[in-house]
Formats: sequence, structure tokens, C-alpha cells
Amino acid sequence: MLAMNKFRILGIAVVTIAASIVTTSCNDKRSTGWEYAPNMYEKIAFDPDQKNPNFKDGKTAQLPPAGTTPVGFTRFDYPKTTEGYNQASIEVKSILFNTSKNIEDGKALFMTFCSPCHGKTGQGDGTVVAHGFPAPPSYSKGQSSRGGAMKDLTDGKIYHTITYGLNAMGSYASQLSPEERWKVVMYVHHLQTL
Amino acid sequence: MRSISLIFKQFSRSVLLLACFTVWGISAKAQGDAAKGEATFKSAGCTGCHKIDTRMTGPALGPTLASETDDKWIASWVHDSQALVKAGDKKAVKIFTDFGQSVMPSFPSLSDGDVADIVAYVRADWKKIQDDKAKAAPAGGAVAEDKGPSDLVVYALIGVIVIALIIILVLNRVTATLERLLGSKRLLPEEAVVAEGAAVEADKYALVKRILKNKKLVFFIIFCGTIAMGSWTWVALWNTNVHQGYQPVQPIKFPHDLHAGVMQIQCQYCHSGAFKSKNASIPSLNVCMNCHKVVKTESPEIHKIYDALGYDPATQKYDSLKARPIQWIRIHNLPDFAYFNHSQHVKVGGIKCQQCHGPVETMKEVYQYSPLTMKWCIQCHKRTDINMKGNAYYENMIAVHDLIKKGVKVTPAQLGGIECGKCHY
Repeated sequence: MLAMNKFRILGIAVVTIAASIVTTSCNDKRSTGWEYAPNMYEKIAFDPDQKNPNFKDGKTAQLPPAGTTPVGFTRFDYPKTTEGYNQASIEVKSILFNTSKNIEDGKALFMTFCSPCHGKTGQGDGTVVAHGFPAPPSYSKGQSSRGGAMKDLTDGKIYHTITYGLNAMGSYASQLSPEERWKVVMYVHHLQTL
Repeated sequence: MRSISLIFKQFSRSVLLLACFTVWGISAKAQGDAAKGEATFKSAGCTGCHKIDTRMTGPALGPTLASETDDKWIASWVHDSQALVKAGDKKAVKIFTDFGQSVMPSFPSLSDGDVADIVAYVRADWKKIQDDKAKAAPAGGAVAEDKGPSDLVVYALIGVIVIALIIILVLNRVTATLERLLGSKRLLPEEAVVAEGAAVEADKYALVKRILKNKKLVFFIIFCGTIAMGSWTWVALWNTNVHQGYQPVQPIKFPHDLHAGVMQIQCQYCHSGAFKSKNASIPSLNVCMNCHKVVKTESPEIHKIYDALGYDPATQKYDSLKARPIQWIRIHNLPDFAYFNHSQHVKVGGIKCQQCHGPVETMKEVYQYSPLTMKWCIQCHKRTDINMKGNAYYENMIAVHDLIKKGVKVTPAQLGGIECGKCHY
């Protein structure tokens, strides 16, 4: 009788422990798990990439109204055409001084935003190109598709291309602010001499 | 006589062979050398704007050159397309306007022979692509048919199995009843069933009663139950609102391991907000289009981007009326009562993204790596060294502390007390 009880006790203990492990450790990675007081966790102050029922299209990130200029924003009023490109080449000059800090910043920005295609030394041999993206011309040796050597590209031309994109290259206006674009232009000028 | 005819035969053979070779050579020259053309196509920079089978910056060359047979015109276009456009050549003007007035650079260095080589290569390659497609089409059909049994077949099979089980059970019951009848001839069938049922009921209660009598056992069961429930409550409370390991299914299967891992695109290329704002920001679709306007244009996942943008890859035009935002599912969610700023950590603190987000460059699907609890934040804030060099705020602080050590009076102005925002916020 005693032996039987022991057996039973042991069995029940094993079952309860197993059950508690199963109920607590079973974690569904597709679910956030238990939530308490969710009203304290869900954002009331909208983040830019959040849904927003207050706008007609349901987005928080709204475009500025047409024809307005945000405070502190530098306008670039040259159209996305070859004429605009040539006009910018003549009229637009960098607004930044050629300091080592600016070039350093320009290099960091170039590495993040440009080097995937243009390569770390601007030869058009980035990692994305190695995976099938059409190679851009080298800054120092290549020919521009709009005529002339890449090494002769002016401030205005490079700025115009960063702002609007060209051929397979897209516009970087949403990723680089005007000042950041000028820093990148500065570093590209350095790469043209390589 | 015989020898003369033999000599003549051999001579005529060699002449014929020579003639054949020259004809073949001339025809090959006229058509262009595809192998040479391929090399020129890749080295002259054509691939920057053209693909054989799809439209890129310029037209898809395969179908265009298959329909355009005037090789002389093609050569003059390649040498100086703008001259043709300015001269008012109808074909040239049409291409120029159809492709957003982007100018094809002039290639005066390519000879007529080089252009013919390229044209030969493009036509041969386009033919090959179409042949492959034609071959793949019936094979694709066979694959589609061979998808495995249809749903109907599966349901029918399950139905048959269930019916078979029911039949087996019924038959079992019948044989059991028959056996009982044979075994206890004295009892009537109904009596036997009733007696058995009562016996089972009595047995059940007996067991419960016996267990309840054993106080040690009752105590042990309650004890185990309390421990189990207690530990479950403990773990559940600790994990409430902690989303560590959360890995939701995203609307587009974006592989971070390919983009950030294999291709080594930096995190901030897409999450550029991490440099300059509180929010690291989910990239808007124009960032995807920086590359995917050109690469992987056939993938169904990329077509989800096109659909969301209202973009038509065939005409490369956007229709804003069809555009709708993609609803990515937020993984990392700090509670609304906690303020966190990405730029403060990434730009000022110089922390690598991976320290908090884990090895994202190896994740096919992103999951939450860190618990993002207050304890976790505090722990890092207690252990991290501050790099004060080059940081105006901390350098000022050190300078002020040096003044204190020297016994000089320190005013609020020196600690930022007359910053505009201190009063006018």
C-alpha cells in the first residue's frame, strides 16, 4: 500500500511540474504576450510612421502643402531637366566652407548613402553593384551620361544629381538635407581627384 | 585519266570548302559577332541604362531591336542620338519623349562594326530568352498540375477513415455484447448492464474516498498546486508587457540578412532618422525604389511595393490615386510614458545599432532582441563609459568642475542657466 502511494505521489508531482512548465514556457513568437494597462503602452503622441485617423489618408507623415517652404529649408529651384542641370552648374556654388570637419562628415554620409553603389573610393564598384545593380561611372575615370568627364563635374551638377537622381540613381532629397548634400558634394570632389 | 579526275575532285572539294568558309565569314561579318558584341555591351557602359528583357532608364533592347531592323539608323542613334532628335527624325523624337527626355550619351568611339556586334548579341540573347520562356511555359503548366492531391481528395480520405473507425467501434461493441451474452447465460442482458454500471460508480467513489482519507497525499497535492500556480504567476507577471522575442509576420518579406548582411548596406541608409531624430523611422517606399526600380523587378514581394506606390513597371509611371501606405507591424514599442531618442544614442553616444537591436544583419525576419525593460535601460546607463571628448556639454562641465576645485565661484550662467529654452520653452 505504502509503495503504491509513493508511486502515485511521485507521478502526480511529475505531472504538475510538467504542466506548469508547459503553461509558462510555451511562448508564441508571433504574439506580444500578455499586456497590462495597454493604454499606457500604446502611443497617443503620434510617431511619423504611425497610423493616424485624423488625416484623410490615415498617415501621420504628411507632405507639406504645395508651394510652402519649411522653416530653415534651403530651396533649390532648378528643374529636373538637362537645362536645369546646366543652369545649376553655372549658378550654384557650395554654401559650406572646405573644413576638415565638413569633409569628415561628408565622408561618413557618403559611406552610408552613396558607397553601396558608387563604392568606397567612388569607382562604381559598391557591394550592391556586385549583386547585379548597374554600375555607375567612376568619379575619377568615367564619363558622365550628360557629357563630359566625371572628374569635371561641378558643385551645381553634383548637387542637382543628388537632389533629383539620374538614370538608375534615385533622388536622395528625402534622405539627405541640403546641408548634408553639400557635405557629400565636398567629399565627391575629393574622390574625383583619385 | 583516273588520277586526273581524282586530282580534280580533291581540288574542287578544297575550292568548295574555301568558298563555303568565305561565304560564312562574310555573312557572319555582316550580321555582327554576338560574342564580341556581348563584351562591348558590358564594357562600353550600355548596362548602366539598358536591359535586354525589361525597361530601365532606356528601352528594353530585346523587343526594341527585334522590331527595329534598320541597322544603319541604330548605328547613327548610338553615335549621336541628340543629332537625330534635333534633326526631327520621327522615330528618334518618339523615343526621346517616351523615355522622359533622358538623353542617351553619344558613343562616337563605337564603330559601325561594334554597333552591329552589339545588335547581334542583343537579338541572339532576346531570342534565347524567348525560347527559354517558351520551353518553361509547358513545364510550368505541368508543375501547376502536379501540386499534389486537391482539398476534395484529402477531405474524402479523412471522411473514409472516420467512417472506418466508427464501423470498427460499432463492430467491437457488438462482439463485446455477444461475448457477454455467451459468458453469462443466466443473467438477462439488461440486468447485466445495470449491475455493471452500478459497480463502476461505486468503484469511482471508493477511489476518491480512499484518496481523500490519505491526508499526507492531499497535503502534497495542494502543496504542488500552490508551487505550480505560484511559479506560473511569477513568470507571467515578469513577462507582462515584455515583448522580447516578438517576431510578427510583416506585410513584405524584407530580408535584413541580405540587405544589411550580404550587401553591407548601413542601417541608416534606410533608417536615416536614427542620425537626426527621436525616431529611427521606417523608410518611405521611395528609398526602396532607389534600387528596386532596376533590380529584382520580377519578384512578387517587390511588386507589393509597386502596388503600394501605384507604380507601373512597364511604363515607369506613378499613379498617386492608387497609392496606399504599407502597414508594417511595429516590433519595438517603448511605452508612451518613456522618452527615448535615437539620435542621442547613435550620434552623441556613438552606440552601434546592434547593441540594442541584436544581430539584425543575420536576421531573415526581425525579432525583438532586447527586453526593452526599465531594468535593461538602467543597467546600460550604469555601466557605460561616457566619451566626453569633443562633446561641448561635457567639456564645459569638466571646465566648471575644475573651477570649483580651484575655489572659484560658479554661477548658473556657466552651467547653461541663461540658455533661452530654460525660460522660454
